[in-house]
Amino acid sequence: MTTEFVYATYIKSTPAKVWEAITSQEFQRQYWGDGISADWNKKGSKWHKETSGACSIHGEVLESNPPKRLVITWVDAAENSTSKVTYEIEAIEDLVCLNVVHSGLEAGSNTAGKVAIGWPRVISCIKTLLETGKPLNTWAGLDMNHDKDAA
Amino acid sequence: MANSEFVYVTYIKTTPEKLWHAITNTEFTKQYWFGARCESDWKVGSPWKIISDEQLFDSGEILEINRSKRLVIKWQNEWKPELKAEGYSRCTFEIEAINNITKLTVTHVIDKKPSKLIEAVSGGWPKILSNLKSLLETGQVALESK
Repeated sequence: MTTEFVYATYIKSTPAKVWEAITSQEFQRQYWGDGISADWNKKGSKWHKETSGACSIHGEVLESNPPKRLVITWVDAAENSTSKVTYEIEAIEDLVCLNVVHSGLEAGSNTAGKVAIGWPRVISCIKTLLETGKPLNTWAGLDMNHDKDAA
Repeated sequence: MANSEFVYVTYIKTTPEKLWHAITNTEFTKQYWFGARCESDWKVGSPWKIISDEQLFDSGEILEINRSKRLVIKWQNEWKPELKAEGYSRCTFEIEAINNITKLTVTHVIDKKPSKLIEAVSGGWPKILSNLKSLLETGQVALESK
């Protein structure tokens, strides 16, 4: 059975700035916790993210429609599972609704658990970065087991 | 019986004490809850309500309270008949300090599936909690109106 993780957030910003925060490597480095190698503006381009331990993720850009919609595949090398992430950016008056849908996750899998822990950290940091100009260090001193152990 | 659940986690540059004040101070809640306010004397067994434009939106009772850490509310919608008909849900706020930031987890659950109440709050919580985060970090809310 597959499941999805959905996270909406409202950001005092513009669609262009939210798009930049999602796709530019300079921004990505500030909230992914680690480097990411990607050109998310180009359909078909391959991306990968290296984190410590066995949490290596890579994928491909399926759809890139700046500054509105980005769809990427998400391959978790540890589980050899492929899921899909859709970013939707919608302007509402003078702010932006960013909706992230991570779909095609195997229910109860490690990947599903990890992304449910990770997305709130990533997106909380994107919002703070865009609204205050400073990143929020949501990964410091934490590892993916922190929340799992607490749960 | 199957449950419906909505969970939202957000990380805020603030302290657990300031976040607690933001959640439990009636005047403060007005600022990020689109003009609605939460009222209670915040003791176990005390009534709790959300009032907007002098009309009762939600009502319930404090089930559990642990200052700056945990709050559990028995919660019934009073505004829409189809939501009120679902009866009581349970909303839990959990606050955790991690380094110099604060993690807030809101879990809203009801013992029915599907649930119109959980569907409604799934749209509402991201707006309210986005506002709360902006207010604590920048002094201003993100959304002024619903």
